[in-house]
Amino acid sequence: MAPPKRPFKRIVDKLVELKDTSELMMDLAYSSLLLNSHRLAEEVQELEEHVDELHTEFELLVLSSGFKKEESRDFLGLIRLGVVTEKIADAASEIAGVVLRGLEPHPVLKLVIEEAEETVARVQVARESSLIGKTLRDAQIPEETGMWVLSIRRGRRWIRPKPDVMIKTGDILIASGYAEGEEDLVRLASAETTH
Amino acid sequence: MVHLEKVEYKPIPVRDLLVEMKDISELMIDLAYSAALFHSPELAEEVLELEEHIDKLAYILGMNAMLAARDAEDAEALVGVSVVAAAANKISDAAADIAAIVLQEIGIHPIVREAFQKVEERLIRVAVKPGSILTGQRLEELELAARIGVDIIAIRRGKRWILNPDDEETAREKDVLVARGAPMGVEEFKRLADGTVQKLED
Repeated sequence: MAPPKRPFKRIVDKLVELKDTSELMMDLAYSSLLLNSHRLAEEVQELEEHVDELHTEFELLVLSSGFKKEESRDFLGLIRLGVVTEKIADAASEIAGVVLRGLEPHPVLKLVIEEAEETVARVQVARESSLIGKTLRDAQIPEETGMWVLSIRRGRRWIRPKPDVMIKTGDILIASGYAEGEEDLVRLASAETTH
Repeated sequence: MVHLEKVEYKPIPVRDLLVEMKDISELMIDLAYSAALFHSPELAEEVLELEEHIDKLAYILGMNAMLAARDAEDAEALVGVSVVAAAANKISDAAADIAAIVLQEIGIHPIVREAFQKVEERLIRVAVKPGSILTGQRLEELELAARIGVDIIAIRRGKRWILNPDDEETAREKDVLVARGAPMGVEEFKRLADGTVQKLED
């Protein structure tokens, strides 16, 4: 078997980015319902546009990778995985749409999502925060708050929360965890020092 | 001829139906990607069965939601419920699409799969080694979700699959665990399963 070629890596990176983003959208969409939060629902819609762009880039990468005829089935598999992420993103966007249309979420919906006990928080990192300049690994956010960072929004970009990503001023941390952790996360990201 | 089972009305609270649809559809996505990543047709079959189940739930939910609306106000409040149920159904369809890729041998090239496994950091499959601290304690006691942000979504024990194991379940030596979580938690989970780490931090 031939060793993996470079294009494969780029294609798979893009696919995983699509996968992660569509899953992030699901978490955000359900949370936007629970909290009746326009801000989170809007984030979902912005991500939907982002996914559309990513998906196009992904398909172009696959189609321009110069695969051989006998490899076409494998590449079809890849294309279809891409379509799946798009479908999930659409579903998330429909859920967020309920909030954006100003329909007061039915009490049943809140109960359903609360059942999960987890919540999503969206917190901006202040210049004075002790997190600035630290990598995610060193920031120890789960240890301090019980919240797990799902994504870091930096301007128009959403960054995957790899351990060596450095936290910068103005970053928005999108994190999930038990509801009680949110306050701790807000404190950590703001100027206040608690120790 | 396609034969689909007739779905009869059952008085089940909309809330219970929606909780089940939401939970199962999310589980299905993880199981389906796992089936693709770790090339498991059996797991893909399980996903297709769950898909069938979700379809039935969607019908029953629709019936119950219709009966719950008495006036325009109720209808306005309930329409959100049916939008969310439809979205959960769509998510389960998406999972079934992934399962179909695995089962129809359209396939995912081994090289792609290998690259996929390297980049994908949220799903893991790992065998429980002798002496791992994951054995001997109920999942409830391990509190993996709270401690390291990881959920065990399936256990393969011999030829049997246990999907979405409940709190009472205990992992055993040689079990193959499929889990999902945040990347750092997943790394930690791997070390717990293979015995390199012997202690769960609080």
